[in-house]
Amino acid sequence: MKTVQFSVTSRLVGDAAVIYPKGYLNNLSGESLVKECGIYIGKGITKIVVNFSETDLINSIGISLLLQIIEDLKNIKGTICCTNMSKFLQDTFEMLGLIQYMVVFPVESDALQYLKVGKV
Amino acid sequence: MPSNAISAENFLNREAELSYLKSLPELKGKALGGNVFLEGARGMGKTELLKQLHRALFWEDNVVPFYYSFKTANQKGSYFAKDYFTRFVRQYISFVTKDSSIADNVAVPLQRLMPVISSLGLCWLIDCIDNFQAHVSKNDFYWQLVAAISAPVVAAQKSGKPVVVMLDDFDAAEHLYESSLDDAHGLISLFGESMQNRLCPHVITGSAGALGAIFTDHSLLGMTEQMRLGPLPEDLAAALFKTHLATLKITCAPDVRLTFLTILRGNPLYIRNLAKAASKMQKKELTEKDLVECYGFEVSEGETAFYWSSVFRRYVQSPTKRKAMVKLIMHAIENEGMEDRGRLSIVSGLCETETGAILDAMEASGIIRDKNAVFQDFIRALYMREIESRKPSDVREKIESKYLSESEASCFELVIPMSSNAELVVAKAVEQIGINMNLESEFLNYLQLALIEICINAMEHSGSYEKKVFLKFIARPNRLEIIIENSGRPFSLDSLTEHSVEEKLRMGMKRGWGFKLVYAIMDSVKVERINDRTRVILTKEIKNKEVHP
Repeated sequence: MKTVQFSVTSRLVGDAAVIYPKGYLNNLSGESLVKECGIYIGKGITKIVVNFSETDLINSIGISLLLQIIEDLKNIKGTICCTNMSKFLQDTFEMLGLIQYMVVFPVESDALQYLKVGKV
Repeated sequence: MPSNAISAENFLNREAELSYLKSLPELKGKALGGNVFLEGARGMGKTELLKQLHRALFWEDNVVPFYYSFKTANQKGSYFAKDYFTRFVRQYISFVTKDSSIADNVAVPLQRLMPVISSLGLCWLIDCIDNFQAHVSKNDFYWQLVAAISAPVVAAQKSGKPVVVMLDDFDAAEHLYESSLDDAHGLISLFGESMQNRLCPHVITGSAGALGAIFTDHSLLGMTEQMRLGPLPEDLAAALFKTHLATLKITCAPDVRLTFLTILRGNPLYIRNLAKAASKMQKKELTEKDLVECYGFEVSEGETAFYWSSVFRRYVQSPTKRKAMVKLIMHAIENEGMEDRGRLSIVSGLCETETGAILDAMEASGIIRDKNAVFQDFIRALYMREIESRKPSDVREKIESKYLSESEASCFELVIPMSSNAELVVAKAVEQIGINMNLESEFLNYLQLALIEICINAMEHSGSYEKKVFLKFIARPNRLEIIIENSGRPFSLDSLTEHSVEEKLRMGMKRGWGFKLVYAIMDSVKVERINDRTRVILTKEIKNKEVHP
């Protein structure tokens, strides 16, 4: 377990936004993640990739805020791709039945390719 | 007469105190000492020390010992006076004749002892008895009491031999009455005269709380010093336990180190009772596990439980109020203290005045000061039995499991504030515990998540004023048990309802994942309510694949 302060960074790759949550995903950090995604959604972006490579822990409040992003994208018929998830994180999402609402890829480039051409 | 004292060789580590008490008549004669108030936790051996002193003086012949226990005394003044007086006369004759049966045979009336007294040439004692009988015949309550209480002084003056007066549980004398309870306050001060006499040193025991109040009476303040009886050192406690076992024909298994005995904190009463519990449970060769088993029996149904129940009955007579007292003490144990009386009346279920009266009785009895694990376990057992209506076998098992798991395991405790990200401290702690146990990191992630969820649940929903979460990790090679406790609003697993992601999205209700995760991760999740505290017990069995090879 790393003890880094939560931060969220992002970049735009073509018509997709890639979000990098870093650290412990809880209520406060989850809200900044929702906010970051909201900025792109507000700009008309419907494709979001969340790269979890630097997310070490998550709690149920963080998960509920991720569900908020899923809902926001669902409302605009958008897509959320999750990448670089640890087995623990992936299993946790699976355990809660969240996985069916996201497209999961091992790495970010696979997600971007999928969003670009519809397949990997 | 306290003829049931244990043998002198088994009376350990009190040589200095005994020697000092024996020298009291000489010291008082030279105005270098006076009366002694023996202080010490219950069961520490105060009564036993008095018995040993009595025996030593009885056979040495220079000082007359007189022992009187207020524990069993009738507090109606006239009965008390008669009892006190006749016991003194019996013990005096017993001492002179060196025939202990005279003191023990309480059924023989004083008149029948007259020939013996005459043959001993104790005319002054006959006068003394006649004098007392005259007060009884005249129904003169006050002079009966004075005559009884001053009998040792008269004896010392007439015979020239000092009398050591041993008053066990003396604080009960505060409740002496004339014809109905509380009708004659302050009769205890009649002892003042006797205590000041240079030929009569007094050694008294009793609850420090109650005696503190008594000693504000200046007539008793005088020449009284305090002697504190501390616990037996660890090695002597073990030696005493083994001696008792040997007497009961029980041996210890070869590998037994008796480490569990430390919980008894060198208290001779507890040590003796535990040995007797082993005998009652027909143990022949004691193991450490047997010790814990005997202990569970002892604090829930054994002599120690009976002892403490008697103390309770003595201070609070009504069963309803005793139940309230158990709730209050349990609350004090769980919260490490008492708060304002207004709030405590909610805990006791009684009005503020009644709760106040119980708290006063608790203070007077000194039980709140006895902060030892044995007493606390007795309270836990009593609480489970009387408040939670659990079966005796369940109660024993609960007490035993507490120590069996701890003794075989590494145990860690942690307290976190209910503040932002405090749950990460818990996550870090469980990670290190897991590393110590060689657990896989992914497995640890799940444990961290489960713990984080329980902590944030407590922080968000308990409404606790204390704003703390208490955690205990009990790590064993094949199992990890985590106990999370907090005060505040009750929480029940029954209140949880599960919704699918689809439903959550439809209902706009995205929270409520926590316990679903905890259930999926842990093997067992139990929620208990103890007084005003919620306790969640998480258990995870550790399989080979979850441990680094």
